[in-house]
Amino acid sequence: MNIRQTIVQLAGPATVIAIGVILASCATTPPPCNGPTTTNLNAAIDQVQTSLANGCEAEFDRYFDDLLTIAEGDPKPENKRAFSEFLVWSNDQGLLSRRQAERYYNRYFNVKFMALEGDFNNCSHTCPRRDKVYRDMERELNAKERGLLKVSLDNDGYYRANELYQEVELVLEATCTACAAK
Amino acid sequence: MNPKLDQMRAVALTAITALLTAGTALGATVAAKPSGPTIRLFPTTVIEDLRLTSTVAQEMETGLQEVIGRLDQQQQLYTESKCEGAEDDPGCQRMAKALGATYLEMLGIMEERLPDMEHTVNNTRLSLEKRLRSELGNKMTPWMLQETLLGNGPEGAPTPAPKLRGRSGMRLSERFKQYYQLVSTSGSRSDQSLAVLAADVYLDMEETSLLIARTREEIARATLMEQLNQSFGIVTPEMMEVVGGVKSILFGETGSDIQIAGPPPGQIQQAYRSPLEN
Repeated sequence: MNIRQTIVQLAGPATVIAIGVILASCATTPPPCNGPTTTNLNAAIDQVQTSLANGCEAEFDRYFDDLLTIAEGDPKPENKRAFSEFLVWSNDQGLLSRRQAERYYNRYFNVKFMALEGDFNNCSHTCPRRDKVYRDMERELNAKERGLLKVSLDNDGYYRANELYQEVELVLEATCTACAAK
Repeated sequence: MNPKLDQMRAVALTAITALLTAGTALGATVAAKPSGPTIRLFPTTVIEDLRLTSTVAQEMETGLQEVIGRLDQQQQLYTESKCEGAEDDPGCQRMAKALGATYLEMLGIMEERLPDMEHTVNNTRLSLEKRLRSELGNKMTPWMLQETLLGNGPEGAPTPAPKLRGRSGMRLSERFKQYYQLVSTSGSRSDQSLAVLAADVYLDMEETSLLIARTREEIARATLMEQLNQSFGIVTPEMMEVVGGVKSILFGETGSDIQIAGPPPGQIQQAYRSPLEN
């Protein structure tokens, strides 16, 4: 009898604690953050926006990549605008700073290379690390191939970016040789 | 392996490489004058240096043309006399010696002209080096360089054709003449094409200068070897190969610009400009 009473006495608080733990864990469980489930870019952007607004901000990179993949399935010039508007929205929502939004957009949809950002002159800053600059530009050219060519059908834009990459390489090679000859 | 032949081959191949490597195809393009600051990459001194280099190269070619013509005739006679495989024949030995002497003459002309070439090429290289360092190296950030290359022209303005380095196969003097013509009309050219042109010419001069120096060293050795060889009277296929190589480079076809593939065909679209675009 004593044992039974003891069990009942102990079970009461234990149940309360268990329920409390379950409730608490429900409150902190992260949302599933699933990727978009449609092949329509605008609908996918809507889904992503909903997810981002509901605690999935950390998945921004993955969502952006998912959206690019969906857009590759239906490439057209208008996709550029859709991505721009999505990034502006992300900035408005405080998910990205203005600078981050610009970097995302320009990396994929602009001819210019963000890898060439810098406030110091070429002799002192670019030349000592030009191998890294070339590697970054090459990676960015791949991103532009995706954004300009495969997503937006902007053949001219991609062609110009590719040409710019080669010109920068040539001119930097000459400039850095001249800087080193000082 | 005959060391004499190796020496001879080395000289010739170095000479050919020097000339070939220096071959750069440049597509002449007309671009709109951009707005913004002008970069001064081709002052009068550089233009004058280029003109002089073209003249010196032409002199070298003229000097070589006659001796190479003679080598051709001697080689033809040697072949028609069925001397290949009959090297012990006294007549063939005489012909081989004459051929070797003309070959030496060719080396002599190159030896005589190359210092002038080296001097003018170096002058041009140093002038351009100073300009590139100052205008593109010290006065510009990488972003400014990129904007210069893209040009600041109006939206949708045609971009100049790409100008890439490579073997042109054109005459040495023709190439320098083309450089001269391109830069002497630089007032009507845009900064973006001038930057590429300056880089191209400078790297070309850099390589040419280095290879001329190496060629001069090799010529000195090959001349000595051929002088020793004169007593044997041997004609080697390598020697003929060398002459053929020099001939095709110095007097080869002109205007064989590298063709760059165009962009893949696609629809022309209205350019969308994002507010995020830099």
